[in-house]
Amino acid sequence: MHLTRRTWLKGSASAALATTLPAAAGASTTFAPTPGAWRTFQLVTRLEIAPSAGATQAWVPLPSFSEPDWFKPAGSTWTTNANAAALRKEAKYGAEFVHLEWAKTDAPAVVEVTSRFATRDRAIDLGKPGTVAPLSQAERKLYTDATSLIVTDGIVKTTSDKIVAGASSDLDKARRIYEWVVENTFRNPKTRGCGIGDIASMLTSGNLNGKCADLNALYVGLARAAGLPARDVYGLRVAPSKFGYKSLGAGSEVVTKAQHCRAEIYLDGFGWVPVDPADVRKVVLEEPPGNLPLTDEKVAQARKVLFGAWEMNWLAYNVAHEVALPGSKGPPVEFLMYPQAETVAGRLDCLDPDTLTYKITAKEVAA
Amino acid sequence: MSVRIAPEARGSSSTVAVTRRAAALQVLTCAVALLYGSAAAEAPRRLEPFPHSPPPPFTLANLDGATVVLGDLRGSPVLVHFFATWCEPCKAEFATLAQLAARRPQIKILAINVGEPAVRVRAFAAAEKIALPILLDADRKVTKAWHVSVLPTTVVLDEAHTARLHVEGDLDWSRDDTVSAIDALTNRKP
Repeated sequence: MHLTRRTWLKGSASAALATTLPAAAGASTTFAPTPGAWRTFQLVTRLEIAPSAGATQAWVPLPSFSEPDWFKPAGSTWTTNANAAALRKEAKYGAEFVHLEWAKTDAPAVVEVTSRFATRDRAIDLGKPGTVAPLSQAERKLYTDATSLIVTDGIVKTTSDKIVAGASSDLDKARRIYEWVVENTFRNPKTRGCGIGDIASMLTSGNLNGKCADLNALYVGLARAAGLPARDVYGLRVAPSKFGYKSLGAGSEVVTKAQHCRAEIYLDGFGWVPVDPADVRKVVLEEPPGNLPLTDEKVAQARKVLFGAWEMNWLAYNVAHEVALPGSKGPPVEFLMYPQAETVAGRLDCLDPDTLTYKITAKEVAA
Repeated sequence: MSVRIAPEARGSSSTVAVTRRAAALQVLTCAVALLYGSAAAEAPRRLEPFPHSPPPPFTLANLDGATVVLGDLRGSPVLVHFFATWCEPCKAEFATLAQLAARRPQIKILAINVGEPAVRVRAFAAAEKIALPILLDADRKVTKAWHVSVLPTTVVLDEAHTARLHVEGDLDWSRDDTVSAIDALTNRKP
């Protein structure tokens, strides 16, 4: 195992230090997402693909994740010059997307998808377990199984075992893993997109930096390795934070680059619990004036809240991994958070605006 | 008193003065270490004997769309290097792989990109000025068949294409002990 001693010790120490974090009271802005009024948003995703010598295809993810307590999709429509367009649902996780097909054309291939959804903040009182519907055996297996990138054996398992050793409950395990990820990872502004989430490589190299799809995938993998159901939730920030966190909200209605992946862990007595250690590291790096210490009051607030609560200025696309794109000649995508497209030249780079041009806008609307 | 701090990027570390608070943290971490047992001292990463069953031959497309058959290189030692564009340590490693290629031109180096679109890999190769042959394992089948679970990973084949050495994680291919290890199995005199 290549996990370095200093890295491991840092995590171990954090368990003790976490109990001495400064209280959030007295902060200039209290970060306190609480289930309240529902907000309705409209999302417009527009793709424009340069004319190609042959057929072109595109796959546009839809905000279709459905949880009655905090996220209600309200349908999507589209306008396009495609020869065929259809709503498709991926079988394993239920991710929805629009699949478009163009024959050879001299004009750009264009599609504009308009989606609506309603959402409200989430907060779980982790001091009061209640009665929640248990996960089915199939769901428990789905969310504890490994994927090709979120492996649960080898270095992931040995790391997880050390983190949760001696934990008194599943909640304790979940919290220890959260604190470990917060303590030991870094947000890397140079990571393209949201990262990829190859957690075994991260742990083996000791290079524990990245963005949300790396850091929160690490949380999910470590949790699954501990036997706890966990999942990434892929989505997009759609509005500023009403709690004053510039780093945790969209800066304008143009949200083309505002993709953000979060994580959930299933705990008996609480159900799916929202967590977001990657956003704690985002606050550390980006919240003005930047490069804040973990002891900074805003960081401490975020760290305390983001184990159990999400501000829903963000939409949820899906929880899918390894999504096979129907009609594609290429391999499955690791996750479906960005629009995808292919021409006769092959799959376009969804992270490169020079090869795949798209614009996403979001605005709050009346219900 | 000084202490190394955890690097933000692979291969970098820094030494900082230890404050009283940090020293107190060290005391705490040492106490915690006793709870979990001592970790082994960190040693520089190096080539190790290949631990898996023999990997199968492969045929993959390169960035130009041409087919590359591993078997066509039989008679030459080959470094099969698995990487991805998102992998930060991989970038720096290409520089020392290029040095090795210049120092031991009889060794063939094949860099296999894992699971990314060709257009992205082409842009990466251009930006990083990578002259080594790059192959595309878009569906990760070769990566899996070669037991690769970590990027970067490199497997060293001898002239008969028996997998002899490997390393998980990045390696300095200009290091003398690395070159000597390869020379030893290729019977080349340094």
